[in-house]
Amino acid sequence: MIPASFDYVAPRNLDEGIRFLEEHGDDAKVLAGGHSLIPLMRLRLATPKYLLDINRIPGLEYIRESDHHLHIGALTRYADVEDSLLIQSRYSALSDVAGHIADPLVRNMGTVGGNICHSDPANDLPATMLALKATMVAVGPGGERVISAEEFFVDTFETALKPTEILREVHIPRTRVGTGSAYMKLESRAGDLAVVGVAVRLTLDAQGTCESVGLGLTAVGPKVIQPKAAEAALIGKKLSDDEIRQSASLAAQEAQPTSDLRGTAEYKREMVRTLAARALRRAVERARGET
Amino acid sequence: MVEAPVIWKLGWCSLVNDDMRRFVEGRGQFVDDLHFPNMLHLKVVRSPYARARVLKVEGGINGSELHFNLSGVGEGGGWQDSSGIQAVDHPVLASKYVNYVGQPVAAVIGEDPYAATDMMEEVYVEYETLKPVLDPEEALHSEPIHPNLKSNIITSLQVGKDFNLPNSPVQLEEELVNERITPNPIEPRGLVAHYDGSKLTVWASTQSVHSWKEGICESMGLSSEKVRVIQVDTGGAFGCKSAVYPEYVVACYASMKTRRPVKWIETRSEHLRASNQGRGAKAKVKIFADATGVVHGLKADLLIDGGAYPVGIGAYAPRWIAYQLTGPYAIRHAFVNGKSVYTNKAPMGPYRGAGRPEVAFILERMMDLLADNLGMDPVEVRLRNTSNEPFVSPLGPRIDPFRPFLESAVRELDYHNRTQTGHVGFSCFVLVPAVQPGESARIAVSGGKVKVWMGTCSHGQGHEVFARLLVSEELGVPEASIDVEKGDTDQLDEGIGTWGSRSVIVGGGALLQACKKIKDEFKTRLGKYDPEQLLKHEFDASVFYSRLKPLNSFGANLVSAHADELGEIRIDECMAYYDVGRALNPAMIESQIMGGSAQGIGQVLYEEAKYDEEGQLLAATIADAGLTRAHHMPNFTIKLAANTSSPHQPRGVGESATMGVPPAAIRAIEKITGEKLTRTPIRPESISPKEPSR
Amino acid sequence: MSRHHISVTVNENKHEADVDSRMLLVHFIRETLGLTGAHIGCDTSDCGACTVILDGKAVKSCTVLAVQADGKALLTVEGLAKDGRLHPVQEGFLEKHSIQCGFCTPGMLMASYWLLQRKPNPTEEEIREVISGNLCRCTGYVKIVEAVQYTAQKMSGMDIQS
Repeated sequence: MIPASFDYVAPRNLDEGIRFLEEHGDDAKVLAGGHSLIPLMRLRLATPKYLLDINRIPGLEYIRESDHHLHIGALTRYADVEDSLLIQSRYSALSDVAGHIADPLVRNMGTVGGNICHSDPANDLPATMLALKATMVAVGPGGERVISAEEFFVDTFETALKPTEILREVHIPRTRVGTGSAYMKLESRAGDLAVVGVAVRLTLDAQGTCESVGLGLTAVGPKVIQPKAAEAALIGKKLSDDEIRQSASLAAQEAQPTSDLRGTAEYKREMVRTLAARALRRAVERARGET
Repeated sequence: MVEAPVIWKLGWCSLVNDDMRRFVEGRGQFVDDLHFPNMLHLKVVRSPYARARVLKVEGGINGSELHFNLSGVGEGGGWQDSSGIQAVDHPVLASKYVNYVGQPVAAVIGEDPYAATDMMEEVYVEYETLKPVLDPEEALHSEPIHPNLKSNIITSLQVGKDFNLPNSPVQLEEELVNERITPNPIEPRGLVAHYDGSKLTVWASTQSVHSWKEGICESMGLSSEKVRVIQVDTGGAFGCKSAVYPEYVVACYASMKTRRPVKWIETRSEHLRASNQGRGAKAKVKIFADATGVVHGLKADLLIDGGAYPVGIGAYAPRWIAYQLTGPYAIRHAFVNGKSVYTNKAPMGPYRGAGRPEVAFILERMMDLLADNLGMDPVEVRLRNTSNEPFVSPLGPRIDPFRPFLESAVRELDYHNRTQTGHVGFSCFVLVPAVQPGESARIAVSGGKVKVWMGTCSHGQGHEVFARLLVSEELGVPEASIDVEKGDTDQLDEGIGTWGSRSVIVGGGALLQACKKIKDEFKTRLGKYDPEQLLKHEFDASVFYSRLKPLNSFGANLVSAHADELGEIRIDECMAYYDVGRALNPAMIESQIMGGSAQGIGQVLYEEAKYDEEGQLLAATIADAGLTRAHHMPNFTIKLAANTSSPHQPRGVGESATMGVPPAAIRAIEKITGEKLTRTPIRPESISPKEPSR
Repeated sequence: MSRHHISVTVNENKHEADVDSRMLLVHFIRETLGLTGAHIGCDTSDCGACTVILDGKAVKSCTVLAVQADGKALLTVEGLAKDGRLHPVQEGFLEKHSIQCGFCTPGMLMASYWLLQRKPNPTEEEIREVISGNLCRCTGYVKIVEAVQYTAQKMSGMDIQS
């Protein structure tokens, strides 16, 4: 199908982009990788009056570590996340997820920022960012704004970004000794979107006790789910199999799945329990340096 | 890996490469690649509801000016001639009622596809929604979706003779389901129609130029000489491009109205909604067996989900499936009640196999379940039920001796070893091709070249290769002198089409008959036959090769699967042992088997045209539709029977894998899950990894 | 602005055109440039029949706007052959009988070409992964994978710049 007509602008820097959004933000959509937006526009499910293409803005594609954070530029392509040795070695959840989004051709274009800003509960990065306790750095007319992942994902296709803001970067707390993360995705029998996905990041102290944990659930709610009870159940614990299973059961209870083409709600809830247990085990193995 | 006796001709490879070269260069000529001066683009406005009264349509071409009803043609079509069918017309453009999401209501024509898409929004349609009927069981009892009919029953019939075997030691009953599947060729449906004031020419993505011509003429009341249909490169069909659809008629009408070429090509979303869908069968089966595993009787109640109109094979499917339902087995007593019903879904049409996979699924599941019931090996049970003698089924077909084939298959597929070492499913079947009523061919010799036309319309099956081989052998001319032309109703008066694994049998038969006619003519005109002399003269022979008697193909599959360390199911190996008679084009036969196997795997694991309670399609994208991808595929081993019963006669193979793979795959998976599986696709709940409870 | 002037280098030839904002790259290639090798098989960037190489990356041209290609280099299936000689990957598909209906073929060729540029010696798994975004309904993919393996072997045996 063919998109409805729209005006297209491609600013050369962020300021230009923000100024445009100040004027037209309510009627505009930001074009990053385009592989969520353009199909919606082709089906005429999205009909923005303006398309703001940020791909010509330099300096938004990067992966680097500072003393306290991993920094990922909003336009960083999934393919680059997949290929990054840094991410493979130290941010396993991201590495787990990047190679399982769509297919390699889509991954050449799709961006980290685009995935996050789309806030599609079926997409994998929101849960991953939640588990990694990421913060999003947005720029708008008032300058920079830092938004925690917890506050960022508001509802289906809705984030905390204002219509005048552009996501510039994602910060993820730097991996320390004793940190391990994992993302597990049950891929749909009928396609590439997750039936259910679970993201985990945890840190064990020197005694092997869990001192911090982040969990995120994909495709089991109107937006990404943070199962707080499941997280709480792990803090201060030694993470034996029993504890892991209990946390996984809590995560399943906190999920809000609906029945659809990919399965019944009960089935999805059961899969949350299964995948959460597995993801937790893998994160623990990685935290202990066993894999 | 293909093992087969074959005659490889010199120059074979280069000719095949010439056939294919344009595809690697990007010079294919598919419908959407065609550009004509002054061409218009047609877009169709469709019903967003599964069932509704149409109160008002404003704008575009709509039912107020276009009053045609669709003619049922193509594979299994022609229902209008049959009795015992509660028939109803499919209006080309709905004006009173709509009965499936996606049903065409109006059309617009624009100078380019972008403009035409925008124009769709100017059409205004007012609907009054009605409660859709979606479940075939409910359709049996609910109010008729077509107000002039008494019920939703399209057809209800019995095949075979009822019987009683109350003392059978084993009586097994089961309900088996094959959910609907959308054909989804990668090239969607389309055509270009051009009426120049005297003749309507249609460039078609099609399985049959003659079916289209017949359907267009009938639907529009045009006489035969006014319509010409030409096949262009066709990007797959799998059953959905033999029939005539409303959109084709609208495009023809639009061209007749404007006197300009009109192109219509659907989007994938349209294909998912409005193309005919296949499968959609439920069977309640009961077998009566003894303690040694011999099945003495089979009863079945078939319920076919016919969709909103009978223009596809909704009317034909019950009898066709019932007819085959003893398969390769010598089952003495059989009785089938077959029904198809109207539902508010896209009309049911042929999808690769078209009833045959349903038969194989039903029979092979029952054989496996009987084996489980008796604690016997599933192959042993099958052997007990096959014969060394020809067998005439109480349902109709005459089956050649199947046991020798089955014994070979068990050996060739190394069944006994493989079943020890892994989770393995075995299946076997007899494929009854759709040979009736035969096929046409024309051979014209002129200027040192031999031109060949067949009523079959190859769309990826490489018919050019067997056609050249057969004509070259028969006439003694070099293959390089033979051009196999694309289907064209102006060049070949009559023809049937490509479907039902028929082409090599009847297309090949027609070619041989045409060659004989040429040679006879040669003898009359010039005396003793000489191929060199042939090429120096002009000849033109057309034939219709009449064939009513089927020529069945035997086949067997072995599929293995395992659960990986996460507990997810992986299909490892897909083995086939098929008797295809004389293998004229082994590379293509192998390809057909692998492609068919991919579809068989898709049917078992991924694919369903699923509707929600409102009659909206849940699979809204081709990804959701569940087509198998490159990383889903198992390893293949393909063996063609060397000691075939017909070393000189090729047999059909196009649909074999869609018959044999699903039951073998489902059995392999059943052995892993330990859960009885009775439905395709398998529900995710049945095959997902599970965390043990605390 | 809903109309834009773009300059795109396509198969090493520069093209200038005025396009609507909403024109999809695949339509620009097929309709404006008349290169009909790239095909349209879906609406949702799933089938890959439209795969081309944009600035060295294999992309689905149905999900890119023509305006996004301004100033960039495009390689389509029509640009694989040089001076009438087929590229080894095209020869590989012919040699291995990897084509049935031909509709997915150009997309498969471009995805395979892109893979071989980055990984001249891919494993079977890597080949299957790279074409996992290209749907084929006819072949079951086996012979396509074989074609890429054959091509990789041939290309490593040749000293070819491609």
